[in-house]
Amino acid sequence: MKVTIDHNLCTGHGMCYGNAPDVFVDDEQGYGQVAAGEVVVDELAESARYGASSCPERAITIAE
Amino acid sequence: MTAEVSGVINTDNLPMAEDRDGSWRTMRQHPLVEVEGGGYAVTHRDLVETVLKQPSLFSSKKAFDILGSPIPLVPIAFDPPEQARYRRILQPFFSPRVINPKEPELRRQIIELIEPIAQRGSCDFVAEIGAVFPVQVFLTVFGLPLEMRDQFVEWKDAVLDLTSAAGETSVDAVAQEGMQKAAELFMYLTDLVQKRRGQPGDDVLSQVLSLTGDDALTDEEAIGLCFLFVLAGLDTVMDALGFGMQRLAENPDKRREIVDDPELIPSATEELLRLDPPAPFLPRVTSEETVLDGQVLPEGTRVSAYLAAANRDEDRHHDPYTIDFHRGASPHISFGMGVHRCLGSHLARLEMHIVYEEWHKRIPEYHITPGTTPRVHWPRGTTGLDSLHLTFDRKDSE
Repeated sequence: MKVTIDHNLCTGHGMCYGNAPDVFVDDEQGYGQVAAGEVVVDELAESARYGASSCPERAITIAE
Repeated sequence: MTAEVSGVINTDNLPMAEDRDGSWRTMRQHPLVEVEGGGYAVTHRDLVETVLKQPSLFSSKKAFDILGSPIPLVPIAFDPPEQARYRRILQPFFSPRVINPKEPELRRQIIELIEPIAQRGSCDFVAEIGAVFPVQVFLTVFGLPLEMRDQFVEWKDAVLDLTSAAGETSVDAVAQEGMQKAAELFMYLTDLVQKRRGQPGDDVLSQVLSLTGDDALTDEEAIGLCFLFVLAGLDTVMDALGFGMQRLAENPDKRREIVDDPELIPSATEELLRLDPPAPFLPRVTSEETVLDGQVLPEGTRVSAYLAAANRDEDRHHDPYTIDFHRGASPHISFGMGVHRCLGSHLARLEMHIVYEEWHKRIPEYHITPGTTPRVHWPRGTTGLDSLHLTFDRKDSE
């Protein structure tokens, strides 16, 4: 699956990397990043969905 | 158009003191509620999002202009693009990578506060933990001596009393004394900023002051930042912790969940924050005429985002009035949303996690002291308990 963060929407709540640290990481400013670039392996799909749905800004999109 | 008119609500009459849930339920009867004294309350999540995501239309700057602070409150008293500059400069200093290394020192401090209380068997949690620990955190992060704690508690109480009374016309003795204390704090910070400039140090203030070029802050801006930290970072954490501990005291089954499984504490913290954001009203003022929920709002209309009400949307939170530490993804907006999202959220979370962790390790069972009632001071611009008297079995000193 492809996971993208809209950096115009992300304000750095940190919910994605807090809830799904295997998929998302923080950058130096505290904004979220997809750890593996964009493509997330199937084993982490559920974690990716969890992290995405916990974003208060709805900045994370998932393309299956 | 909105189907029915909700009528004007006098928010002073909400039963906030002893029934927060009931108060938010009342406010949620409509997404947009006209409030007595002028302006509107926005109480449903989608509509709150509409307001907070359009910062040029719903201005934070205009809302804080009303407060009449003599110094610029960096960055909430600004709208984009100026606000974006402050945000970009300040955000790195409050990121998890910078905040998390402070954990061992802050944990040591909270243990030192809790230990004597555990041996005593009772306390006023608000006064003895809530009011002092966030101040110690501020002093630690800003590189100030902990001996300044009681002085800072006095200063911030005076300043916060002043701001909560903003708009009231009577200038009585209390206000005079408040002005005096605010002036003392202002002079202390002015002196501090001047001393720290040009002196390298690990603390946030020294690092902010060492910025150069376009990012450099003037003395006035740096003092405004310190002032905002005092206004936004101290009583908010106290109030959130007080509310959280009240709910845990009143719900022993929920408390036992985190005692038995401390790994639940981060999600418990989020759930308690969802129910009780300590700054539940985000003020905005329209910068031009606009339509919101079918209602025409002229330029200059006050619009308040009611975060605690929005956090109770059935669409997003199943059974929203129930405490549930197993909600999974539960994107509450107690830290706000959009460009003005709370800059200190990572620090606030760290503070709350370690208080809940260290407290429950030492004091797993407690209840509200019979004969006392935790009450929310109301009406006021922020919400918090005046006191929270807890009683528990004394822990023998080792």
